[in-house]
Amino acid sequence: MAEIRLENLTKRFGPLVAVDDLDLTMPDGSFVALLGPSGCGKTTTMNMISGLERPTSGEIYFDDQPISRVDPGRRNVGFVFQNYAIFTHMRVYDNLAFGLRVRKPKPSSEELDREVRRVAEIVGLTGALDRNAGRLSVNDMQKVALGRSMIVNPAIFLLDEPFSNLDAAFRAYMRAELKRIQDEVGQTMVYVTHDQVEAMSMADHIAVMNLGVLQQYGTPAEIYDSPSNRFVAGFVGSTQMNFLPPSVADVRPPANGATHVSVGVRPENLRIVAADSADAKLRAKVTLVEPLGAKDVVHLSLEGHEVRVIGTPGQRPRIGENVGVLADMDRVHFFDDETGEAVR
Amino acid sequence: MATLRLDNVTKRFGNVTALKDVSLEIRDGEFFAVLGPPGAGKTTLLRTIVGLERPESGDVYADDERITDVYPGDRDIAIMFQNLALYPDKTVFGNLAFPLKQRKLPKDEIKERVQKTAAVLHVEHLLERKPGKLSGGERQRVALGRALVRDPRAFLFDEPLSALDALLRLEMRAELKRLQRDLGRTLVYVTHDQVEAMSMPDRVAVLREGVVQQVDTPENVYHRPVNRFVATVVGSPPMNFIPCTVGTRNGALHLKHDLFEVAVTAHGLALGESLAEGSECLLGVRPEDVRVAAAGDDAFGATVYTSEPLGGETVVDLQVGRTLVKALAPPSVRVTQDAQVEIAVDAARLHVFTSEGETVLSAAGEPIFSVRATA
Repeated sequence: MAEIRLENLTKRFGPLVAVDDLDLTMPDGSFVALLGPSGCGKTTTMNMISGLERPTSGEIYFDDQPISRVDPGRRNVGFVFQNYAIFTHMRVYDNLAFGLRVRKPKPSSEELDREVRRVAEIVGLTGALDRNAGRLSVNDMQKVALGRSMIVNPAIFLLDEPFSNLDAAFRAYMRAELKRIQDEVGQTMVYVTHDQVEAMSMADHIAVMNLGVLQQYGTPAEIYDSPSNRFVAGFVGSTQMNFLPPSVADVRPPANGATHVSVGVRPENLRIVAADSADAKLRAKVTLVEPLGAKDVVHLSLEGHEVRVIGTPGQRPRIGENVGVLADMDRVHFFDDETGEAVR
Repeated sequence: MATLRLDNVTKRFGNVTALKDVSLEIRDGEFFAVLGPPGAGKTTLLRTIVGLERPESGDVYADDERITDVYPGDRDIAIMFQNLALYPDKTVFGNLAFPLKQRKLPKDEIKERVQKTAAVLHVEHLLERKPGKLSGGERQRVALGRALVRDPRAFLFDEPLSALDALLRLEMRAELKRLQRDLGRTLVYVTHDQVEAMSMPDRVAVLREGVVQQVDTPENVYHRPVNRFVATVVGSPPMNFIPCTVGTRNGALHLKHDLFEVAVTAHGLALGESLAEGSECLLGVRPEDVRVAAAGDDAFGATVYTSEPLGGETVVDLQVGRTLVKALAPPSVRVTQDAQVEIAVDAARLHVFTSEGETVLSAAGEPIFSVRATA
């Protein structure tokens, strides 16, 4: 168990600043997601925590101990990567046992067996212990990788896009499993991902990064409901937030100095109603419907601006139809057009 | 304009049968998606249509003309791969003009067609730039343009959006759908992404290990899947499967679970033809059809395993007996781990599968099931 603290952490690769003056405290036992598009610096940050990269400047603390000069092998950190690091010629059992067998002093065989079975149970491999790891499905291989790092009981767990090679159904299953596992083992877990669904669903804290710079650090609810800038607002959410001029959205922005602002409203906070509905202040034309099964994404043209609205498959409008639009005014955001910062 | 047809096409690579007796009919002007996991044979299917692979048996037709032995370049079908493969040293204009120059079209016509294509794709202002100076989305459009500019009778796209980041993918999804509608050209679109396969096409073929499972509208694939595999590849999170036993009461069939019973009304009786009394079956229910914090005589108990807030909605993971069930709930529903909650399922959206995974019955909105909690 450990708290991780990053102080003024910077990493340069030649002229490129991969991580720029990052301050971040990850509490002991927390599940922190580093979220951002490719090139945002999330993996470099993780690599500095693990010791695969040395910071250019700044320091990393585990429980107030500076560790940037500590050998990676002595940091007591466990990893899971996108590509399963497992021994394909060994049985699942031996893969799991490996980390304990190389440990000194060597645990007794009863102790080893107990631990292997305990971890196998947690990751859901009890029935596969005698199988050859190389013959497993990719899904099960990733479970082996997870179990291998778990068994050595590291203080900190680092996971770098561990599910991105897995199929969607298994990913959905593993999300819940990993969340449950983290809750049970209680280790500090740092999870790198570009998938906002993974970050939102599992983490208790999310650090959103872009171009090496931390954009916002907060709980999933804070990130979703009070994004600190337009980048965060647009990056989080499965259908992107709509951004409109205040005049088009028919709302008055807060009067606090910013001259040009945009209104941000999420697709699920807009509702399509009949064109002649009295309470709908906005009128739009349907340009496209994307059925997703459980819901539709309906594209509207609102005074020439494209707007996406979450629709109900049972009440699907026709393309070309004129409709009214209702916005949930309690859930409208404003962003400064110049700086992108949220205006409240 | 073109219809495309595959008749009993089989393609092998050594021991691996990539396509097993595949028959498909793709209509003129249709947006046709092919969905399946990696290794399902999707790319082989496209390569067979365009002529980069020759099937061991079966035939390929375009507009009822047999093209199995026609040279790929003479099939008048354009294919766009996942890797965009733009010429880095040519400008956007040069990239777009290339397929036309190869055809030795007159200069004026090349210019006109490139301009027209660039306008359709909103890249007119980029014609003098080289691919290295373009954003991901712009490069994607240029690659599309290179397929469009030839004005072929049909387009084949192989996972064209999979290399893009999430936001751009959303944007291009809508744009491609619009473009196909405007052009009215036959498009075969291969993807492993169920959102793309649901949202864009007119019809979708679900492929598994070289075998076509179902060819249908996205709507029917979602609401009337032919088997458990199809039910699982569309929908996010995927459909839940709850094991039940088949029983009879007062001569009518019903499904038994420790916590609830599902009665089948008269026009669901076809159930009896596939399921014998006492046999095991699977009740299929999609996450959006599970209601958390329900009340009434159809509500039964579950334990919260964990919950996954997504912002606009929350996935609640529930322990129902020995089965883990995912429910999609509005964000206002708040649950704590290990809490006991009452849940209910939407009877009009249930599915029944044999334990081997074949669909017996899908309600698809019909009132053929009724659910009652076990007292």
